Amino acid sequence: MSAVIVLTPIVVSSWPVISAAVMGAVTGMGFAVQGSTLHEEKQSSREKVETEIANSEIVADSMTPTEKIVVQKAGVTIEVGQDDRGRCTVCVSGQGQSKKQLKQIGEEVSGRIIQQFAYHKLVTELKHRNYNVVDEEVLADQSVRLRVRL
Amino acid sequence: MSKPEFEIVISKTGKVTVEVKGVKGPQCIEYAELIKKIVGHEEERHLTGDYYAPEGEVRIDTHTKGTTS
Repeated sequence: MSAVIVLTPIVVSSWPVISAAVMGAVTGMGFAVQGSTLHEEKQSSREKVETEIANSEIVADSMTPTEKIVVQKAGVTIEVGQDDRGRCTVCVSGQGQSKKQLKQIGEEVSGRIIQQFAYHKLVTELKHRNYNVVDEEVLADQSVRLRVRL
Repeated sequence: MSKPEFEIVISKTGKVTVEVKGVKGPQCIEYAELIKKIVGHEEERHLTGDYYAPEGEVRIDTHTKGTTS
């Protein structure tokens, strides 16, 4: 070992690329897909928390403003879309859940989306540069470890 | 020239930790920069003993022959 660096991914891409990362993340967490369009919330008693994926931007014109990925698990609904500035947002709603619990779920989903995005970007870009992934495993803490050689 | 090997860990929060192995000296920074260019912002950087080692093959053998009192 000669150098160790810690990086925070920048999640900037087209909606198809980002939505692929979203789908990989949420299905891996056990959420079931409900659709890809905006669903108006009918139950006003449901708490709702919106978080933004840090350092994210969906490239303009690659999605319509109302387009969203909607997934659900155990009464919790997650909508992933974009805000007015083109940043990727994660909106979590649920009944019987506190705002703190929903925020925690939103942050976990955001993290897993970033993880999926970084994984696919790294593997794709390194393959283009003739590097090979020689080993890959998911660790107990849900981290993904890759060994890559030229 | 040594061939680099990367050990990359992507945490569930999305943080990416990269260890560059098999390369000594400042060249390992060039490989680290490659990953940085693909991923994003650098938060931390640590250089270990190998970074300061000469790039050529240097072998130092040490032997201990018994003890004297």
